[in-house]
Amino acid sequence: MSILIAALLLLLAATGAGVVLTRAPRRQVLALSVNGLVLALLFMALQAPDVAFAEITVGAAAVPLLFLIVLASMKMDRSPRPPDEP
Amino acid sequence: MTPKLRLALFVMACLCSLPAVLVLALHMPEFGAHPLPYGDAIDAAAPGERHISNMVSAVNFDYRGFDTLGEEFMLLCAVTGTVVLLRGSRGEALEARPGIVKGRRILPRSDAVVLIGRLFAPLIMLFGIYVAVHAMTTPGGGFQGGVIAATSALLVFLGEGYSGWRGVMKSPVLDALEGGGAALYALCGFASMAIGAPFLTNFLPLGTLKDVWSGGLMLVENAGVACAVGGGFVMIFLEFLEETRTKKGGTKK
Amino acid sequence: MNLLPWLVAAWLLGIGLYGIVTSRNYVHLIGCLAVVQSATYVLLLAAGYRWNAIAPIFYNHPPGTPAVDPVVQALVLTDVVIGATVTALLLALALQLNKRRETLDPEDLRPLRP
Repeated sequence: MSILIAALLLLLAATGAGVVLTRAPRRQVLALSVNGLVLALLFMALQAPDVAFAEITVGAAAVPLLFLIVLASMKMDRSPRPPDEP
Repeated sequence: MTPKLRLALFVMACLCSLPAVLVLALHMPEFGAHPLPYGDAIDAAAPGERHISNMVSAVNFDYRGFDTLGEEFMLLCAVTGTVVLLRGSRGEALEARPGIVKGRRILPRSDAVVLIGRLFAPLIMLFGIYVAVHAMTTPGGGFQGGVIAATSALLVFLGEGYSGWRGVMKSPVLDALEGGGAALYALCGFASMAIGAPFLTNFLPLGTLKDVWSGGLMLVENAGVACAVGGGFVMIFLEFLEETRTKKGGTKK
Repeated sequence: MNLLPWLVAAWLLGIGLYGIVTSRNYVHLIGCLAVVQSATYVLLLAAGYRWNAIAPIFYNHPPGTPAVDPVVQALVLTDVVIGATVTALLLALALQLNKRRETLDPEDLRPLRP
């Protein structure tokens, strides 16, 4: 078993757990971004450049951006109340 | 069902399926050393039959082209659903003022952000088109190139602000781009049927290996997918960013 | 550790499901769904791997060099892009839910309570 693939798999297990265990949505966005980056590195190590292309763009740029927009929009909806973080 | 009961049920289900997962992991074929007959058959046959060097594009657009048709219409449905949900409840009017959160100022854009947006948005769009066009020779294709080109639209938003961005991104153009891309893919299949061959047969001249314009009908399908994916993602960004604007009167709703 | 890819895929699935089961915020739940999706990508790509093989692109190498499986890469490629679109649809649903009911907690959104 190559060291690189084994290390990336263990790192992916850690970042996946990080995404789930980060309960606040605003912090979870960053964890999602890191998870997407590690996933793209794993895809490159598994000799899949096409998939790594798609995963970098989608997982580190598009999906966290959508999350951030939704969180900002929901905060604007709730602005009459004092802001509270879950 | 209380949360504790739900968690207890989940833990019980995990414990029951854990032996099955372990047995399955032990009986899986050896990682990296088991035969791959379907992949080897395609790797051996595709450069000679279809004159392209990117095997993943060959599988996506030719050998399993029908599956990609289904995927593209899945994308069309998801984008349509998002647009209907968001535009349906908000209306189609453009709103000029950004939404306000109590206690937070709206900062003006800095010159560095504007400069980087103006420099890099055309470069990234060009890179996205390059990746999409070189689908048949190097890693790339319509899916990847479409998403990269859609990301350049975000840099336009960051650099030019809302009015500049809405001036460039008009909803009817994006709707036509997305629907037209999906329709182009379906029309490729029907064009094959029009000359008497089965659906999605590659009937155009195939070109030479390692040339950008090789692959025949796969080039047209690739262009359709790139347009659909790029248009779809920019439409999603547009609808979501419209949600952060206000109606007349200050705060939202 | 020959079992590592399969175990990591199973771990990601399990912890993603745990996040969905115990989530208190619908936006957090959509993030956990993304983790579950990534478990399938890891499983598929690990099933198609071959030691000391090149990527399935024959531009710099002659056709016939041992390469990894292109079929699973095609599956995962379309899946990644479409998964992002479905995540966008789910986020739009969460946004509408927040507008109507002012809360995103699954416990407060039970359908039969007034």
